[in-house]
Amino acid sequence: MRGRARTVTVVASCLVLLAAAVVLGVRALGREPTVTLLANWTGDDERNLRQAVIEPFERKYHVHVDYQGSSAESQVLGADVEAGTPPDVVVLTGPGELADYAGQKQLQPLDGLIPREDFGASWATPLADGHVYWFPLKADLKSIVWYPAGTSEAERRRARDDPAQWCVGMGSGATSGWPGTDWIEDILLQQHGPGVYQSWAGGRLSWRSPQVRRAWTTWGRLMGAGTSSSLLRRTLQTGYAEASAPVTATPRGCTLEHQASFIRTQSTAWNQVDGRYAPSSELIPGSTADDSWEVSGDLVALLHTTPQARQLIRYLSSPTAQRAWATAESAFSVDTRAQPTTTGPTWHHTLATTLLSPSATHCFDASDAMPPTIRDAFAEAAIDYLAHPGHLDSLLTTLDTLRQAPGQTWLPAVCDRVP
Amino acid sequence: MSAGTDTVSDGPPRGRPRPVEGGSTTAHDLAVRHRLLLVLSGLLTLSLFLSYEGVHGDANPLRTSSAPAVLSIDTALYALGQAERDAGAATPTSDFQKQISVAAQSVAAAAGDDVGGASGRQALQTVAALITVYAVKVQQAQLQPEGDVLRQAYLSYATSILSDPGSGILARLKVLQEQQRAAVHRQTSFGPLLWSGWAATLLLALALAGCLLETQLFLRRRFRRRYNRGLLAAGALLAAGLAVTLLFTVWTHAGMTDTRRLLDRPLAGRQLTDAGRATAAYLADTGLRASAAGWILIGGILVMALAETGLRRHIDEYRFRPR
Repeated sequence: MRGRARTVTVVASCLVLLAAAVVLGVRALGREPTVTLLANWTGDDERNLRQAVIEPFERKYHVHVDYQGSSAESQVLGADVEAGTPPDVVVLTGPGELADYAGQKQLQPLDGLIPREDFGASWATPLADGHVYWFPLKADLKSIVWYPAGTSEAERRRARDDPAQWCVGMGSGATSGWPGTDWIEDILLQQHGPGVYQSWAGGRLSWRSPQVRRAWTTWGRLMGAGTSSSLLRRTLQTGYAEASAPVTATPRGCTLEHQASFIRTQSTAWNQVDGRYAPSSELIPGSTADDSWEVSGDLVALLHTTPQARQLIRYLSSPTAQRAWATAESAFSVDTRAQPTTTGPTWHHTLATTLLSPSATHCFDASDAMPPTIRDAFAEAAIDYLAHPGHLDSLLTTLDTLRQAPGQTWLPAVCDRVP
Repeated sequence: MSAGTDTVSDGPPRGRPRPVEGGSTTAHDLAVRHRLLLVLSGLLTLSLFLSYEGVHGDANPLRTSSAPAVLSIDTALYALGQAERDAGAATPTSDFQKQISVAAQSVAAAAGDDVGGASGRQALQTVAALITVYAVKVQQAQLQPEGDVLRQAYLSYATSILSDPGSGILARLKVLQEQQRAAVHRQTSFGPLLWSGWAATLLLALALAGCLLETQLFLRRRFRRRYNRGLLAAGALLAAGLAVTLLFTVWTHAGMTDTRRLLDRPLAGRQLTDAGRATAAYLADTGLRASAAGWILIGGILVMALAETGLRRHIDEYRFRPR
């Protein structure tokens, strides 16, 4: 009897264990460590990111990257954070928004994870608590105006004074209006210099100040705000990425575009006409600033510390990833170890040099540096102003009221130096 | 399988059933049948369990996750289409608000259905945030006077948020919908692996039934007993268990196939509500049937125990028979 019981027990146990092992084994297959990444790149940018950055990382470290790209990134991130399920890693253009999250203790310090000294003080700045919370994946120069090769300086000046000759598109889905904020920020920087700019971007200068008001009205004149309804319709309803399309028409639908360096490779129109750039200070009326440049960057931050997320942060801050992303996007890294070779078009090389030039003053995009509420209201105000320039006083008053609201995080400095 | 050549009195000594030259083969034949029955029962149990799990293991996620998720995403797409139609109204309308609310709730429901795991959840959170932004842009447009250029501008921004190829809300939802439809197809397909599993199961069942029958006949010849109750009970349990599991599997798979056919069609409006009810009906009781998988293991152990009981008495008779 004992032998019989033992046989049955052994066979039954083996059977159950085998069945359980097979079922569990099948279910366990296909699971691999994952890291979630949120950024604003979609379409071609997303494809480039996957090919140049994400896939090599996945191959090398056997970690799956769940990527989400959205133009409504701020809203998505806000909802994710509120729901308690933030992505592990985020790439944002706004240090103001990141500072806000750091203030809420939502960001994890990157000390010891990234080679801070390779990015320069203005790009990986410690906050008041002494910790660094972000670093740039790529950077762009914004104080530039693109024009077709062969356009003389005199032609550019003539085109500047004709609002129809500006290629402008304010559309950008959830973030529509930002091309206008870039314009106004750059005008303020070129007309009044980094000191005034930094004071305004840091919430210390009123929106109703004469300097800020002058920047708005200068932009309004350049754009022909409130004049031609067909021009206005084109400006407001065109997406920023398609704004330069008329430059290839015969005769040309527009000649100049005030847009960041990334547009040169994103826009097929500028490729077709072999786009060149001039510093915006040459074309902005009343420019007085010397060698001052508005810049922007895609900043990487860590929200959720997992070994995979820390691995991704290390990878993104490495010269390999910085160079790969810069090459894929024809963009620029501010990592001193990941600079491009001197081959390639002159415009590309001079843009890269300007971004790293120690003698130039670089000021971060002011609206990106401001608290998100003000940034969004600023973008909407830019749209409203073009349609109704007479609303300027009330728009500036509203923005100033928002500026004075308590409990907001302002960056103390946005320029790498103020003469 | 040889019936042996001698009477019961010629059994070999205990533990070594191999017959000597010219000796009785009964003990050896008993041992061979004993082992064969246990091995076949074990293999059949394992094969039946895995084949059953292969079909019924997918029924639960289909009923609780994939099928409702496809319907939720269909509902969200339909509601957003209706909302876009109402977005051009002169003033903010309750219809627009209602459709946005339906779309948001459907997306939340799809997230609750655990669409596509962590990646799907993240994608749905993105869609939920975009729906909010879309509604805000439409409301901003509706706040502008009729004919104002700002009204058209805000509507164009809203439309791009909704319809941009690749990054718009509709494109994102369609990607998720495709993923869920693919999941439904995966879960409801009866692929080569399952065919092989069930074919192996049926062959093993036939082999075990044959072996039980042959052993029964062998015992009748050798021991002059008409029936061995243990083996008869094992055979009955085998037949009943196999019939029940086959029936359960046919019912569940039919429900899953009907569900797939229903969800493969683009659904809109009233069809969505009807499809929800029909899906629930098709997949009713699949959870109960899936939970029967554990009984397969218990049934297998019982068959082995019955076969063991049926043969053990005769094996012991041989083992302790005085020489």
